[in-house]
Formats: sequence, C-alpha cells, structure tokens
Amino acid sequence: MTFLDILLQQSINGLMLGIMYSLVAVGFTLYFGVLDVINFAHGDFFMLGGFMALMLYAIAEAVGFAGNALVVVIYLFIGSMILTGVVGVVTERVCVKPVSKAPMLISLLVTLGLGIAIREAVRVLYPRGSDPKGFPTLMPQGSFNVGNIVIRYENLIIFGLGIAVIMAVNFLINRTKMGAAIRAVAQDGEAAMMMGVDLDRTIDITFLIGSAVAAVAGIMNGFYYGQTMFNIGAMMGVIGFSAAVIGGLGNIYGAIVGGILFGLLETFAAAALPYGAENKRVFAFLIVILFLVFRPTGILGEKIFERV
Amino acid sequence: MTEMFLTLEGVTAAYSNMEALRRVNVQVEKGKIACLLGSNGAGKSTLIKAILGLVKVVEGRITFDGEDITREKTHRVVRRGISIVPEGKRIFPKMTTIENLRMGAYIEQDEQAIEERLERVFELFPRLEERAHQIAGTMSGGEQSMLSIGRGLMSSPRLMIFDEPSLGLAPILVEQNFETIQRINEEGTTVFLVEQNASLTLEIASYGYVLQKGKVVAEGTAEQLTDSEVIQSAYLKS
Repeated sequence: MTFLDILLQQSINGLMLGIMYSLVAVGFTLYFGVLDVINFAHGDFFMLGGFMALMLYAIAEAVGFAGNALVVVIYLFIGSMILTGVVGVVTERVCVKPVSKAPMLISLLVTLGLGIAIREAVRVLYPRGSDPKGFPTLMPQGSFNVGNIVIRYENLIIFGLGIAVIMAVNFLINRTKMGAAIRAVAQDGEAAMMMGVDLDRTIDITFLIGSAVAAVAGIMNGFYYGQTMFNIGAMMGVIGFSAAVIGGLGNIYGAIVGGILFGLLETFAAAALPYGAENKRVFAFLIVILFLVFRPTGILGEKIFERV
Repeated sequence: MTEMFLTLEGVTAAYSNMEALRRVNVQVEKGKIACLLGSNGAGKSTLIKAILGLVKVVEGRITFDGEDITREKTHRVVRRGISIVPEGKRIFPKMTTIENLRMGAYIEQDEQAIEERLERVFELFPRLEERAHQIAGTMSGGEQSMLSIGRGLMSSPRLMIFDEPSLGLAPILVEQNFETIQRINEEGTTVFLVEQNASLTLEIASYGYVLQKGKVVAEGTAEQLTDSEVIQSAYLKS
C-alpha cells in the first residue's frame, strides 16, 4: 500500500465516524439556537437510539417478524427515531425548557443529571443492562476494493444513510416553513412570536428533530461496531458538543464540518501516531483545545453566542 | 356610534415584578390612527407587550374586535389580525429580505396571497426589492426600518401597532416612515402608533393618550392634545 492509499483508507474510516459525530453535533447546535441551552444529556439520546432499536428488534423477533432485512432495518430506524424523539420532547418539557431562562449553570447541572438518569434507567430497565449488547447483523457483509482501498458494504450503506439524514435536516431547517420558524426563534424568539410562531411548539419540534437524528447516529454506531452499551452516551456527548463548538455553536453547517473534522482527527491519530489507537481522543481533544484558544468562535461562527 | 376595535379596560400589568401599568384605559377606533405618547420608561412598551400577551396582565381586560384577548398567547393574538412593528425593528438579522418578509406572512397559508403582498410591499418600498436577497443584518438602519414595516404588512393585518418607529432614525427617514403609516391607514388598516415624538405623531393621529409613570394622564383628539397643558409643557416646548 502506498502512502496515498493509507491516507485515503483512513479518510474513509474517519468520514464514517465523522458523519455520526455530525449527527449528534447538529442537536447541540439546534438546542442552543432555540433555547440558549447546552443539553449535556444529548449524548445519552444517541445511546438511547441504539437501545430503542435493540428493543424493537427483540419485539420483532418475538412476534416472528424478521424476514426481509431491508424492511427490518427501516422499521428499526423509523421506530427508534419516533420513540427517542418522543422521549426527547417529554424531557425537554419536563426539565430542559423550565430551566432555560435560569442561569446557564443551572441548565448545565440539570441536563447533566438528566443524562445520568437516562443512562441508569437503560441499565436498570434493559435486561442485563450493564453488559455490552450485540447488534444484529442485518446489513450485507463483505467488501469490495477500489485500487488498494477496501470498502465494506455495511459502511457504505451507513455512510450513505448519514449523508441522507444530514441533507434531510438541512432541507428541513433551510427550506421549509417549519425550519424558518426554528431559525427565526433562534435569531429573536420574541420577534418570532410576534410573527405568529407558536414558540412552545417550535421548541418541541426542534427537540423531536434533534433526538431523532441522534437516534440515527446511535443505530449507525451499533451497526458499525456490532455492539452498544449503556454508557457510550457520555463520551459521545462530549465529542458532539466539541464538534458543534469547533464548527461554531449555533451554525448547522459548522456542526457538520466540526463532526467530520473530529472523526478525521481521531482516525489519523490512531493510524499515524505512536500509541495512537489508545490515545486517539487525547489527540483529538488536544486539537479542540488549541482550536478554542486561537479561534474561540469556531470555524463558521461569527461571534461568541451567535446563533443559527 | 363609533366602533372600538381595540380596548384596554383598567389594565394593570407587571413587568419584572415592577408594576409598569396601572389601571390603564385605552381605546382604538376602527379605521383611524390612535396614538399613545409618553417619554422613556412611561410604560409604553409594557402596554404593547400586555396586548400581545408578552407580559402578565394582573387585572383588567383587553378586547380586540369585541373578543376578549386578555392573557391570550402571543401567536394567537397575532392570528386574530394584529401585527406589530416592534421597537428597534427586530428584523431577523441572518435572514434575507425575502425571508424576513415571508416570516411576516407566517400565519398565511395561501402562497398566492403571499406573492401579492410581497408585490405590494415592494411597491411601497422599491428599495426592498433591490435588496431582496441581501442578508438583513447587513442593511442600513433606514432599510431595516422599511423591512420591519414591510414585514408587519405581510400578514395583511386589521390592526397595526407601531412601537417607536422614529427611534434612532434620521429626521428625513422619520418623516418618510410617518407618511408610510398614514398611507397604510388610508388603505384601510387601523393603526395604533406608540411614540415619543409628539409633534409628528399628532399631525397624523386622530385621537391620543398620554402615558406617564404607567398611568394615562391625558387623552383627547389630536387637536385637543396639541393644545393641552401636559403636551405643551412636556413634549412641544422647543
């Protein structure tokens, strides 16, 4: 393999991870836009998405509905998006929105606590919830070569799905009336209400979208690694938040760029640095820290606390 | 018998725990321009927020077109046909002119109606058509002011509230704005104009109220107010 091959191969791996990170980062950015809240429980919605899919799969198996893999995969994604989205809206109403007007420290503590509650709930309520949970093999296995680069079918599907979801979110936010309401609320909530926007409903919809998109990332993660665990949300929360900040908190494109950048950094660190595999995140977060020192507003952010 | 469109009866409203309005009575007659005069901190903005359901109304009653709208949620009040051109313009800075105007027509579902209103706004403000795809935050203060008024027109309101349209604008632009307001009224929209600039306001309004420290201290026709002691001493003494 030439150097270029290695570079390309690692880029593909990095993009895979990056897409997942982007999907989580988008939620952070949306929530910050409409509610001025940094929702540290968001990583746990990523985890919850994976577990909802597992639960739905167990139900499907129990009733003997497990024939066509494609149908099952679609059922898992849509079902988990709906369930996770609903949990997202309920928790937003019960404990995120009520503290959004309070000092940021309060909302930070509340959302951190919410994350722990979700994590522990999954551990206690899911059968043998403390153990790693294997994901079913539903995607076509095997791979094909482009030159010296190996591409697995499963990864290609996951990647394509990630891109599709990002495009759908972009369409929703920038091309629909509902998206215009979300952007208006992010820019000036009171002015948006003066235009006839139902503020509460818009916030609900934003959390529905954010949680559902995180759920997609959670399922992708499960298929990618072949397993999931109740505690993976905490790290994903930190990564997603970092990605949103690198890109410029409040900017959707920034969240996507930040997520992909983080995925690439991590992968290249694992491949190229001595002891890289164990310390890939140390390296990636080091870059994040440097980035924040020299450009605290992020890649696409205009100024601190500028929104969508 | 004249028809009262918007009425406030004995309205007391709290704003961050300070009582900013105390038993205020105001009426806006259908088809006319009514005005509310008062200096900074007199409670003018609180009164508007009370109408829109953005501050808590402690006592009293607000009605619009005969129906009680006290404590109704903001978006419901707006859907009844009230539109506001808020203080400080409050345009959406990261949206383009067109996007801002479309936000103004948020409650309208009929795409054809929206297109017609866009045309009407561009006819009123040709400058906005030139700036149609510019990001609103990058436009001049005068253009943003036009955009704010244009956005207020986009819902085709029955009552339009203007909150300090003269604030922070050059005198020539202020006069243009007031001419526009007059024209909007002549085309059939009832106007409630809330202002500090008494002389210009009383030129176009037919009836007015003077607010001081949260209370209405004087009311009357524009002529009566222009001659009144309170206006002469506080606002027109130049």
